[in-house]
Amino acid sequence: MSDYLLEMHDITKDFNGVKAIDGIHLQVRRGECVGLCGENGAGKSTLMKVLSAVYPYGTWSGEILWEGKELKARNIRETEEAGIVIIHQELMMVPHLTVAENIFLGSEPRNMAGFIDYDLMNAQAEKLMARLKMSDINVALPVYNYSGGKQQLVEIAKALNKNAKLLILDEPTSALTTSETKTLLNLIKEFKANGMACVYISHKLEEVAEIADTVTVIRDGTHIGTQPMAELDTNKIITMMVGREMKNLFPRETHAIGDVVFEAKNISCWDVTNRERKVVDNVSFELRKGEILGVAGLVGAGRTELACKLFGCWNGDHEGKIFLEGQEISVRAPRDAVRLGICMVPEDRKRHGIVPLMGVGYNITMSVLKRYTTGGFIQSEVELAEIQNQIIRMKVKTAEPLLPIASLSGGNQQKAVVAKMLLPEPKVLILDEPTRGIDVGAKYEIYKLIFELAKQGVAVLMISSEMPEVLGISDRVLVMGEGKLRGNYVNEGLTQEKVLAAAIGQPATEAA
Amino acid sequence: MTLTKKDVRKFLSEYKIVALLIVIAIIWAFFGYLTYDTELGGSQFLTPRNFSNLLRQMAITGMLASAMVFVIVAGEIDLSVGSLLGLLGGIAAVLDVTYSWPLWATIVLVIAMGLFFGLMVGWLTAYLGIPSFIVTLGGQLAFRGMVLGLTGGITIAPVSSDLKFIGQGYLPELIGDVGGVLLFLVLVFLALRTRMNRQKHNLAVSTMPTEVGRLLFAGIIILGFVMTLNDYQGVPVPVLVLLVILAVFTIIGNKTTFGRHIYAVGSNMEATRLSGVNVAYVKMMVFALMGLMCAFAGLTTTARLAAGTPSAGFGNELDAIASCFIGGTSMRGGVGSVSGALVGAVIMASLDNGMSMMGIDTFWQQIVKGIILVAAVYMDILSSGNQRA
Repeated sequence: MSDYLLEMHDITKDFNGVKAIDGIHLQVRRGECVGLCGENGAGKSTLMKVLSAVYPYGTWSGEILWEGKELKARNIRETEEAGIVIIHQELMMVPHLTVAENIFLGSEPRNMAGFIDYDLMNAQAEKLMARLKMSDINVALPVYNYSGGKQQLVEIAKALNKNAKLLILDEPTSALTTSETKTLLNLIKEFKANGMACVYISHKLEEVAEIADTVTVIRDGTHIGTQPMAELDTNKIITMMVGREMKNLFPRETHAIGDVVFEAKNISCWDVTNRERKVVDNVSFELRKGEILGVAGLVGAGRTELACKLFGCWNGDHEGKIFLEGQEISVRAPRDAVRLGICMVPEDRKRHGIVPLMGVGYNITMSVLKRYTTGGFIQSEVELAEIQNQIIRMKVKTAEPLLPIASLSGGNQQKAVVAKMLLPEPKVLILDEPTRGIDVGAKYEIYKLIFELAKQGVAVLMISSEMPEVLGISDRVLVMGEGKLRGNYVNEGLTQEKVLAAAIGQPATEAA
Repeated sequence: MTLTKKDVRKFLSEYKIVALLIVIAIIWAFFGYLTYDTELGGSQFLTPRNFSNLLRQMAITGMLASAMVFVIVAGEIDLSVGSLLGLLGGIAAVLDVTYSWPLWATIVLVIAMGLFFGLMVGWLTAYLGIPSFIVTLGGQLAFRGMVLGLTGGITIAPVSSDLKFIGQGYLPELIGDVGGVLLFLVLVFLALRTRMNRQKHNLAVSTMPTEVGRLLFAGIIILGFVMTLNDYQGVPVPVLVLLVILAVFTIIGNKTTFGRHIYAVGSNMEATRLSGVNVAYVKMMVFALMGLMCAFAGLTTTARLAAGTPSAGFGNELDAIASCFIGGTSMRGGVGSVSGALVGAVIMASLDNGMSMMGIDTFWQQIVKGIILVAAVYMDILSSGNQRA
């Protein structure tokens, strides 16, 4: 009997002759956490879909051994019965069902008469939540009452309820706050001690370094290497992922900073549903020509709400004045903002960034379509020529310029969304989490672009939850916490500690 | 290279319209065979006369379906068009019969009323945020009530011969021929211009033989169409109107910012709004177009029946919606074409016409049409590989 819980040997999966993954190996011992790293499109998801039988046995080649025996699962139910449970990047919760109902969805305990036994279900749900040290959650309340982090834990409770022996976590922390992430990582460590195995997929290499025992790196569908974490560090992992040394993650370039071009005065926003709650509280700041202004803060600090207000898409109550080049402007809808020269790349690419069924090219030209018309008719040739320019300029990888954008990888979608918001030639560009969920290579391209824009004199407001990114890119950093502006620092000798302290609201530590 | 299932699927999803035309060919062959008459020495279904009838029958559904496509593509629905058609047709009848208005004045007022009601429905949906399903369900009841009030529940007849012409008239043979030739020349001109523009911008162009072949094919279709109709009485006026609508709406859909925005709004409204598009205005104008088409369809209906009846247009919204879905429009919005919807309308009309000719009871006709609708959408789901696991 082998000491591995799971062994995947020589896994190859092709789509119409194109190999998505080619000869990948993955082994997981009981009580071990394996970090799976690779750029977007490297084949991580494909590998996990093979493992969880989204692609059933027979549609790929290779061998999967589960507890020493060959696994020939035909659907997800069979892999779940074996004890392999996958937790997806996006939460799969039904918001209006209660916590307990979500946990037992599809496996509801029933009483003699065939009705759901709510007492038993709630009691068991409470036990599960207690195991996750989340006893303060009311399992009889609808799930939408809880934050993304808590919902993530409910998702894990659901997995525990299925008697998972192997937990696969796909980018579990992309929507979590720092403290929620910490809770989750501690929990995984505890599971490990109890003998559960897990596969941890994440772009956040610090997290991988913290909890993984072994790291497997794949690139372009091929196996690059598997090494104990003890022999690695994050830099080595990056080198393995991109296949070249990334000396400088942030391609800083000097750029001249000019006069004040944009000014926000006393901006306040109120919550859409709870109209008493202020989400942005009296924030004022200035933005100069060619300046990159980072906005740091924890999730829920009010940064996205502030950006929405400036771009004219905040649906709740709001007040405050906005000045562009010294003139007060009124921005009542995004189209006002775009017309005046303020553009925004939204945080949630899927919901707010892309028009999925439309071609990449048509997504790019959406904001400035009028430019390509004469007498009211679109001149397709002029438009197509511009689309090709943009695709080349932004290095968007697409087989055809009019392929539906939904079929592209996240990084390429993001490049297209950025291209769309650059075509109106903005004076002020707001970037809300511009590198969320995209790979190292695409990130690098976006950073380079930001510096290029700054050189051209565009004022950039960049919201980011990744502290190294804020410090690596910005000329100046605003720190927000609980809707208030808690810091406005020139980025010279600024440290993560200082920014974090300000975000939490402890400016006193500044001296320390 | 052998043709695999996947290749067929890919072909059908890319050239949906080809698949639909094949379906039409099958239906026509089927009815042509079943209505074969030894005395006539030919089929009753496949005659120029019946072809002309069939097109006239589908014209009204086709007008509604042309605009309904945009409504559905924008992610909305309009259940009120049958009733609105009845109301506008009733107004036309009253103006013509009771007040003896000249035709042009009747047409202008009816079109204005159509636009007004369409804008109203659009405003309630897009600006006040009431779901279109509810607004137009209410509209269905309210407009039908107005027709009953307006006509007093009785038929208003006889309408003037001027009005009758737009529903029952035919174009003289010569005009049909000249029109066909002009259409062909326009197509040739457009193809050449596109070619030159693409070359100017260094975009790929298809080879000259392909281009010529494509144009020849279009020419043969136009020639066959005009000659067949001229063989009976000429191109029917409503069919001509429908063809113009097809051309105009296809251009709106493919060549204008408004058309592009309709598709964008239906695919992801939030992202479209954040791109700086006035999404509420786009939605409202889509309903305005729908109202305009109700006016056209209402005028045609009254002219065809030579009377305004309280039940005119009853159930027409369902035929129009079914035509869109048979023609490949997506329930979820963002996908669909006017030409597809019109082919859908031809399929529906062919079924009606063929089954009537064979003397099949109306109740059977409805059952068959219902099954065809569900089956057609299922085929669409299969071919796009969108089914749920």
